[in-house]
Amino acid sequence: MNVPARPPRNWMLLAGVTGLLVAMTVWSAYGIGFSLTEILCNIAGGTRLITESWPPDFGFLPRLAEPMLETVFIAVIGTVVGGILAIPVAVLAARNITPNKLTWFADRNFMNILRTLPDLFWAMLFATAVGFGPVAGALALTVFTVAVISKLWSESLESIDMGLPETIRAVGGTWFQMIQFGAIPQAVQHYVSYALYAFELNIRASVVLGLVGAGGIGMILETQRANFEYERVTMIILAVLVAVLIIEEISESIRKRLA
Amino acid sequence: MNISRQESLLKRPGPPVGFGFTVALAILILFGVSLYAIGFTPARMLEVPGGVARVLSFFWPADMAYGWDRVLPAIVESIQIAWIGTIIAAILSLPLALFGARTLFPRLARGVKLISATARAFPEILLAIYFVPIVGLGAFAGALAIGISSVGMLTKLGAEVVDSLDFGTVEAVEAAGGSRIQALRWAVLPAVLPEIIAHWLFRFELNIRASAVLGVVGAGGVGGVLLNTLRYRHFDKAAAVLILTILVVLAIDTISGEIRRKIIRG
Repeated sequence: MNVPARPPRNWMLLAGVTGLLVAMTVWSAYGIGFSLTEILCNIAGGTRLITESWPPDFGFLPRLAEPMLETVFIAVIGTVVGGILAIPVAVLAARNITPNKLTWFADRNFMNILRTLPDLFWAMLFATAVGFGPVAGALALTVFTVAVISKLWSESLESIDMGLPETIRAVGGTWFQMIQFGAIPQAVQHYVSYALYAFELNIRASVVLGLVGAGGIGMILETQRANFEYERVTMIILAVLVAVLIIEEISESIRKRLA
Repeated sequence: MNISRQESLLKRPGPPVGFGFTVALAILILFGVSLYAIGFTPARMLEVPGGVARVLSFFWPADMAYGWDRVLPAIVESIQIAWIGTIIAAILSLPLALFGARTLFPRLARGVKLISATARAFPEILLAIYFVPIVGLGAFAGALAIGISSVGMLTKLGAEVVDSLDFGTVEAVEAAGGSRIQALRWAVLPAVLPEIIAHWLFRFELNIRASAVLGVVGAGGVGGVLLNTLRYRHFDKAAAVLILTILVVLAIDTISGEIRRKIIRG
């Protein structure tokens, strides 16, 4: 029987890539002090932690209502303000409708730098600038939201049909009219779904903002963690998970109805 | 047909007022309540730009000597945490993704979906809070936290890749007398691996950002350095942290993105 020949393999490339990956892994594992023995030796510590953090301290639950609400408020403000600010950032960063190359280039880089820093870094910066508390958290999430929505939405704007915007320009419409009537209406549904997506991310993020003093339920989490009150830590985390799931459910159903 | 009916037919239909309007109104009210509740008064709002500008003015010039000595090693540690975390997640998620494919294993898939949804629900920083007391302060706890929390997303994405596969080859292997496992190895794996590896790389990019913040709870990396510099008001040193973090993350994103495109194109 004739079997077709196996395609030749590029052994050099394969060996090189594998070697590189293995080297990177060994170097990283060494760098962070990865050790299986450490895991095995500390199983006892792990079981002790689990017995200490279970059952959750349900008596603590009433004290969580207020900071949990604060967390939601922070996420709402961050999403609304950030969502509005993201509109011009996204429009200027869309290659097909941006007024000129220079604006596009500057805005694109601005967007990339915003996106580079994680949410907690912004929270730390704003907590230092405007003082500890929810205002710092709201500002941090505003920046984070601009980064998320502008990136996603500028890509939607780049994929719109250019017929209508070009017609508006051809009949003498200004650039603003072209954006307002030609470009944005085509991508408004994407905008809504990205805004809701950003809201879900913000709810998740606002939970941990308090770890660096930027308000919300994370601040309680941080004090209980520092005091090794793990029964309360578990209670807080469970409450957070339930709240996040409920809010995501609501946001999902809104997204479905609007789509 | 009477006149008014005709008129109503000729009239341009307005935008549908209803659900969208209700949602917009609800958002507006919620926004107002939120502003009030967290004490974001107009006076406070006017203070913000000044406060930010004042603090920013202390950031310059950045203390780059500190950057090279202290920050760069911490960023390297963040990268190592992200890498090991991604490796852990890749190893755990590959079998889960295969067994989580609805088209291949309808019954197993439901259980796998539950596991991956639970893993996705925990932000890595909350997991790190639990790992720090178990394996001690440091990067190792961070890597475990990143690894476990990445499993959820990678399993979900991987299972979706398998589900979107054309099953002709699987049937061919089984028709030739191969077992389910042999079909996985020879028909499914070669077809899905490139896309799954691209997902691993994408998760690695996300994990770099995640590992940068884990230092806040003592799980290693650059986050702890930033927190300390800000806490002691060493703004020039904080500036070094920010500059180096931005540069390194941008570089890694670019390289990794380029590799991902190459892999997907084949």
